[in-house]
Amino acid sequence: MTTIEETVQLAVPVRTAYDQWTQFKTFPRFMTSVVKVEQVRPSITHWTVGLGPARHEFATEIVEQQPDTCVEWRSLDGRHRGEVTFHETAPDRAAVTVRLQVVRPNVVVFLADASGLVRRVLRSELAHFKEFVEGLGEGNPGWRGTIRNGRVRPVESEPPRSHVPRWPVG
Amino acid sequence: MARGLIRAARKREMSLMHRPPGEEPQDELAVTPPKTWAAGVPAVTHALEYSLEETSVRRTGVTLLNMNQVGGIDCPGCAWADPSPGHRHLNEYCENGAKHINDEATSRRITADFFRGHSVSELAERSDLWLNQQGRLTEPMVKRPGSDHYEPVNWHDALGLISDELRSLDSPDEAVFYTSGRVSNEAAFVLQLFARAYGTNNLPDCSNMCHESSGFALHETLGTGKGTVSLEDLHHADLIFLVGQNPGTNHPRQLSALEQAKLNGARVIAVNTLPEAGLLRFKNPQKARGVIGRGVQIADRFLHIRSGGDLALFQGLNRLLLESEDARPGAVLDHDFIASHTSGFEEFARHARSIAWEDVLRATGLARADIERVRDDVLRSKRVVVCWAMGVTQHKHGVPTIREIVNFLLLRGNLGRAGAGACPVRGHSNVQGDRTMGIWEQMPDSFLDALRDEFGFDPPRDHGLDSVNAIRAMHEGRVKVFLGVAGNFVMAAPDTDFTEEAVRRCRLTAHISTKLNRSHTVCGETALILPTLGRTEVDVQSGGEQFVTVENSMSEVHTSRGRLQPASRLLLSEVAILCRLARRTLDGGAGIPWARFEADYGTVRDRIANVVPGFHDFNRRVTRPGGISLPNPVNEGIYGTSTGRARFTCNDWEMPQAPEGHLLLQTLRSHDQWNTIPYTNNDRYRGIHGSRKVVLVNPEDIMELGLSEGQSVDLVSVWTDETERRAEGFQVVPYPTSRGCAAAYYPETQVLVPLDSVADISNQPTSKGLVVRLEAVGVRSSAGRPVPATDG
Repeated sequence: MTTIEETVQLAVPVRTAYDQWTQFKTFPRFMTSVVKVEQVRPSITHWTVGLGPARHEFATEIVEQQPDTCVEWRSLDGRHRGEVTFHETAPDRAAVTVRLQVVRPNVVVFLADASGLVRRVLRSELAHFKEFVEGLGEGNPGWRGTIRNGRVRPVESEPPRSHVPRWPVG
Repeated sequence: MARGLIRAARKREMSLMHRPPGEEPQDELAVTPPKTWAAGVPAVTHALEYSLEETSVRRTGVTLLNMNQVGGIDCPGCAWADPSPGHRHLNEYCENGAKHINDEATSRRITADFFRGHSVSELAERSDLWLNQQGRLTEPMVKRPGSDHYEPVNWHDALGLISDELRSLDSPDEAVFYTSGRVSNEAAFVLQLFARAYGTNNLPDCSNMCHESSGFALHETLGTGKGTVSLEDLHHADLIFLVGQNPGTNHPRQLSALEQAKLNGARVIAVNTLPEAGLLRFKNPQKARGVIGRGVQIADRFLHIRSGGDLALFQGLNRLLLESEDARPGAVLDHDFIASHTSGFEEFARHARSIAWEDVLRATGLARADIERVRDDVLRSKRVVVCWAMGVTQHKHGVPTIREIVNFLLLRGNLGRAGAGACPVRGHSNVQGDRTMGIWEQMPDSFLDALRDEFGFDPPRDHGLDSVNAIRAMHEGRVKVFLGVAGNFVMAAPDTDFTEEAVRRCRLTAHISTKLNRSHTVCGETALILPTLGRTEVDVQSGGEQFVTVENSMSEVHTSRGRLQPASRLLLSEVAILCRLARRTLDGGAGIPWARFEADYGTVRDRIANVVPGFHDFNRRVTRPGGISLPNPVNEGIYGTSTGRARFTCNDWEMPQAPEGHLLLQTLRSHDQWNTIPYTNNDRYRGIHGSRKVVLVNPEDIMELGLSEGQSVDLVSVWTDETERRAEGFQVVPYPTSRGCAAAYYPETQVLVPLDSVADISNQPTSKGLVVRLEAVGVRSSAGRPVPATDG
């Protein structure tokens, strides 16, 4: 198992950094290696990543999520996991640290990891994130609920997404 | 000998497909050993054979290659979810789906000449297999009072007869509007709107007879009436239970999901009274390992349970989990989840600890060690999904059984997180969507208020009639008009003889149908056949080409667009028929724009968006690839129960008991069958060929009852009333059913299900756990008095 860690310093408040990061569907706007992200539920996202013509898809479960503090995830196939932590370094400054762990690499991931490619891509993508979030200066308000042990705890007692038919279905 | 008989049955099958059969097949029964794996190459060849004999190569190609594709035809065969766009096979269907869709796309036609040549009473003597084989209905037909023949009628007059009858009733509650699960969201919404604008909540549906127990149990305990899992959850579960379901025949595409889960490392525990082929091994015909290899083993553990023992099993399992927690405090139960998201744990735990092991073992027919091994599997698994179907719901204690399954899931926090949850596996392709659209006799006030606000009329608030109560009301003369949208009500309903009497007492019955079935032949004084477009056919209205939407078992709502030319120019779509009928029946249409609805189904969807929660911006969102995934509140951390938390429950049970000389009977479907309609008399997975009139009995029970293999028996059900319910002339087939439990085909044995024999709370007919005796033919007991066959 290998762990790769990278940190980026941002000239935005920690809340802005967190709100932007947790709008996962926007990742393809600033990360060149992310092709598409679908948010299936608050805790499940489906990712298509790739470099050049190569594509790789995986689903992740967010295991822990605390607003302005952390997002911890694991891929549902159990091959990799990671966490991103958010720190306030000054009133309008934040540090974002991403830690990736490859648990069961396939051949491609093993080679990418061994050659240092994963680290280089991560560093470069974090730079893209910095450019994007600082360029915007402010983020759209994000989801402020929490996730603990993979289980969602919404902020509202009746979040809009739960307004669906609930009557018995035969 | 057996091989010769099988060949004869197959030959008969092939000749039936070339042309409509003149006579009923009269093959002899041949029995071969049950299969130990499902699908593989034979599934492909059987599907193609049936399809190509029903219709042309071109039409077969059009239907199969569009089936379950993005923007294509949703297979009406079952409600299993499709893989996400981009992950679907070129052939995204199963054998039974292919057979079903080409059964609809058949090139055979029924015209007015057919009805001139066959009286209604003559057709009532025919089997559903024969009726179905005659082909597609092509023009509206009416049977007038006193007549024994259907005759052609134009649409205007046909709908006029119904609307005149509806308008003449003393009360709108003298009519019922039945829906089968093939009906699209748009037609379902229009139907319930019409019924309520007309003034009644009498909206029985096929859900009343299949998963009603699931809806009630889940709603009470989790605050949602639907399953909580997606395909992704199944793929990534550690442990999957398959309880009382037969995926190989009834939802074969589930096998692909189970295969994926197994390849990802999941274990599967199957709980059933029969070791069905699809529970044992799956050879995926789309993969090399399924074509030339051994395929994938499905069940790692098979619990050969007694009929109706599932509640006892889960209660025993729950007790074992509580005791494991006692031995290793904090290591077994999800205390954080129980404390923060559930209620009623202490009371449940006290109750679970009080159950007696001897009762559990007697009810399940299992050894305690079997259940302890399941506990060990559970303790090794972080993520558990429980799937179930009608082997659970159609028991008297179906609702408490599902509540106990929920208890089991709650104990270790297997709800509301990835890879875990509750999965009721539904049959009809849009049975879930129809209920979402308001087809229910007990819709909550919130829905009725939204309907009122949208359309400006006050819907009736009194609960209407479900299927069982509708039959009772027809029999008592309280209901005089029956309108069925799709389905084959008289065969799907319980207590066939009583139901048929009830229907025949109606002043008018009308069915919106694609093909002929028994419900057209067992009819009211006036009867109408209203032929409609199938799911496979192009639907053009004055607003242009239309599509419809459906919702699968995993709450994904998507489009279905027909590709074939309609079977006849005179067919109207379901939406069109209902809109025209509403316009004729309601004075001034009650201010509802029925003509616009008919012209453009998008206008119906706009109204659905305003009435049904979760369907905002419906028209735009549903046309995106994959459609709309309706969130399940449980996965959003919301439990809409009375306590705002998931509820543990205490479930008492009474073991289904068959007195000495009796067996517990369950109904089941054959592999060559779609709901009430058999395609042939074969069931190759179970090794039954040439006849459906068989009763599968454990060899030891056969011996104990003094019967013999191949013996002809009548099945007689034992109930508390004086009525004798008898299914005549069934052959005894030795089969590895659980001891004391027998099985026979649905719908032939629906005649044995008393109308009053219903599941507690859900009022769902109990087609499982029926107490029956097997009377050797020629040895009849006096009516209603249980006499074991051995005594004869």
